Amino acid sequence: MSYIKDVFGSRELMLNLAVREIKGKYKKTILGQLWSLANPLALMLVYTFVFAFVFRVTPGPGNPSGIDSFALWLLCGLLPWLFFARALSAGVQSLVANESLIQKVYFARVVLPISDVVAIGYNWLFEMLVLLVALVIAGAKVWITLPYLLLIMLLMFVFAVGLSLILSIVNVYFRDTEHLISIALQLWMYLTPVIYPLSLVATQSEKMGPLFGSNITLMDVYSLNPMEQFINVFRTVLYDVTAPSATSLLTCFLWSFVSLALGVLIYSKKDKNLAEAL
Amino acid sequence: MTNAVEVRNVSKLFKLHHERNQSLKSAIMRGRISRYEEFTAVNDVTFDVKAGSTFGLIGSNGSGKSTLLKCLARIYSPNKGSITYNGRMAALLEVGSGFHHELSGKENIYLNGSILGMSKKEIDSKYDEIVDFSGVEQFIDQPIKNYSSGMYVRLGFSVAISVEPDILVADEVLAVGDEAFQRKCLDKFKDFKMSGRTVILVSHSMESIKDMCDQAAWLEKGNLQVVGESKDVVSQYLKSLG
Repeated sequence: MSYIKDVFGSRELMLNLAVREIKGKYKKTILGQLWSLANPLALMLVYTFVFAFVFRVTPGPGNPSGIDSFALWLLCGLLPWLFFARALSAGVQSLVANESLIQKVYFARVVLPISDVVAIGYNWLFEMLVLLVALVIAGAKVWITLPYLLLIMLLMFVFAVGLSLILSIVNVYFRDTEHLISIALQLWMYLTPVIYPLSLVATQSEKMGPLFGSNITLMDVYSLNPMEQFINVFRTVLYDVTAPSATSLLTCFLWSFVSLALGVLIYSKKDKNLAEAL
Repeated sequence: MTNAVEVRNVSKLFKLHHERNQSLKSAIMRGRISRYEEFTAVNDVTFDVKAGSTFGLIGSNGSGKSTLLKCLARIYSPNKGSITYNGRMAALLEVGSGFHHELSGKENIYLNGSILGMSKKEIDSKYDEIVDFSGVEQFIDQPIKNYSSGMYVRLGFSVAISVEPDILVADEVLAVGDEAFQRKCLDKFKDFKMSGRTVILVSHSMESIKDMCDQAAWLEKGNLQVVGESKDVVSQYLKSLG
């Protein structure tokens, strides 16, 4: 408990470190903050070309919103995914990258990965605002589901923080982690309905029926992926513009809670030994 | 007089790794994470530091005084024993910790200050003093990568010294900047003492230990040899060196 109090007392430091990241990142660039939009936009163009134009993937119009655009549909899932992927890749190295600081000053180490995720979350917020404007222009009444959006963004953030905490510690002991995670994230993206609609997986699952004589279907296994739940809720809220199901929200909440609790637990145990382990 | 810091039976062990498998592959191949011997850097050390006094740690290279200092600074946690503080502790082991080269001097004051545990309000109230002490007013809005090394350490030292903790744990960072700045630093340390704060410092300079410290502890190979009046401890230490 005293550990959590300690962490709470460091929130100002956490914000300052996040500001350091944000300000330092685009210093001396002409476009500045706009650079954070460049990557998602480039990906959007490529994926739209490949999947909507070449492969003819059609996610169908949002129900009940009625908007029908592959690019917008893609971004509703791609932006949360990119936040998650960036948060993890930055979070995993946060301790190793700040080695010299850890060995010279005492502070709650947990602020390092959190502040990295906050800095990335700030860029994400900016991207989501642009997406909201685009959705409104396309005719989606997204303000109706705005409270749900804020909730699911918060849960997504907490989930990413929790995983980053765990991975950053693991990376101190096994430096492979940061390389492993960049590959894992690529695979993970294709196992998550980011660039293709979930309905395609559902169709396949039905075709295959129960697996290996059990009553488990492909879809059941597929749904174990927490990111599948998150991305679905984002699409429901942003593209369909309707309330997500309570089950999905609860699942997301549980995943976030578990990952954060585990992360904080590991930190409260390992925090003290980090200076010598690095 | 009350004690500002109580060090009780503190031991710190390090693992000397004969092999350390920091990659997953080697850990699996070798079937273990590491093989190591334990090395006692600090062995069962006990002493008190009185409130308002200046306390020096001396010893030759590898005597464990830096390890003990890091334990005192809470960077390492002791394997055995405990350290109790009566008051707020701040450590000064390096100047300019966490400075970001692209950010301006001003932004770095706030960043470094919060790393050292100051709130924004505190830094606000001390900002002028910090800038004044560092003597870099003219360049405060410049990114610090353009600073000379002297300006860099002066700014770092000014922030660190403004933390005004009840207990200051300091490494040999006193020797920063030019003659004039060093004198300012020494004066600041004296002010520190005058206002009833406690200072613990490590130094190789016996002159400055005798000059500044009331009490001193001499460590040798992790064991505490003598604690007492700094003059006595220093003379015994020098005698042992021959």
